[in-house]
Amino acid sequence: MLVKGATALVTGGAQGLGLSIATYLAEAGANVVVADRNAELLARLPKDLVGVEMDVTDPKQVNAQVAGIVERYGQLDILVNNAGVIFSEPFVNVMNPAGIMHDYDRFRSSLAVNLDSVFIVTSAVVEQMIKRRTKGAIVNISSITACGNEGQTAYSAAKAGVNAMTVTWSKELGRWGIRVNALAPGFIGTDSTRHALTETALKHIESNTPLRRLGKAEEVAQAVITLVENEFINGVVLDVNGGLRI
Amino acid sequence: MNNKLAALLSDVFSLPISQIQSDLQQCDVGTWDSLKQMDLVMSLEREYHITLEISDIVRMTSVSEIMAVLESKGVDLAS
Repeated sequence: MLVKGATALVTGGAQGLGLSIATYLAEAGANVVVADRNAELLARLPKDLVGVEMDVTDPKQVNAQVAGIVERYGQLDILVNNAGVIFSEPFVNVMNPAGIMHDYDRFRSSLAVNLDSVFIVTSAVVEQMIKRRTKGAIVNISSITACGNEGQTAYSAAKAGVNAMTVTWSKELGRWGIRVNALAPGFIGTDSTRHALTETALKHIESNTPLRRLGKAEEVAQAVITLVENEFINGVVLDVNGGLRI
Repeated sequence: MNNKLAALLSDVFSLPISQIQSDLQQCDVGTWDSLKQMDLVMSLEREYHITLEISDIVRMTSVSEIMAVLESKGVDLAS
């Protein structure tokens, strides 16, 4: 599938990695709709990106918004499930006077935004793709932490779930011509990474990465284009991590 | 029973062609699950150059219903 002329929906696309992916797709000639819950950031999007306010954890709202996008553009060809929030909390924290174990509510809310949202948005989009026989491409943004990362029980579990859904859907939806792949970035030099990690941790990661640097958001965006345009790639979790293993 | 349709259903459900009768129902065929239903839809659309709506897909739970849906799409099963 050529990105040029296609219609793409990028969730969580008003800032950081999502914005880079959305911008890259638009530069490649796609009509790009950016879904984000932050109205202020949406208002500041570049002119070639169309913003839609969306809470990706709310199925009713997502279904209505996706139907609206399809009505406006005729069909949706590309979905990039990027929305998510990096979340770190150790399973056991003996320094926490409020309780040493990982908070269950925070575990659930991390899964809601990082895992349930992928299910919710993909359900809405795939229904539209099937109704219109759109041979679409779905790219789920996973993470290097999907293999299990110390201090990130909820986030790692959510991303492992994203990988499993990716492979499952690639098997189920292939017969409709819909391809589903995931992209697992390593540590990318975005604001969210810098907020989530200390300077010392970032230095440690850089020195342990074979390429000795953090990734760039554009490098992830380039990989998204590859997964969309190569029509024989399906059910893959593509690592974009500079060779880092955790 | 239309020979072309019988051959298609035999292929999709991996059943001997002799078992493809109009009274055959989904519950009679162990392999006829929702994934197989999607294969069926793709095969019918490709063979007869039609587009099935979700309501058609949900309705097709027997060979006779498949035939009814095809005929409603203008497919001639008599020849």
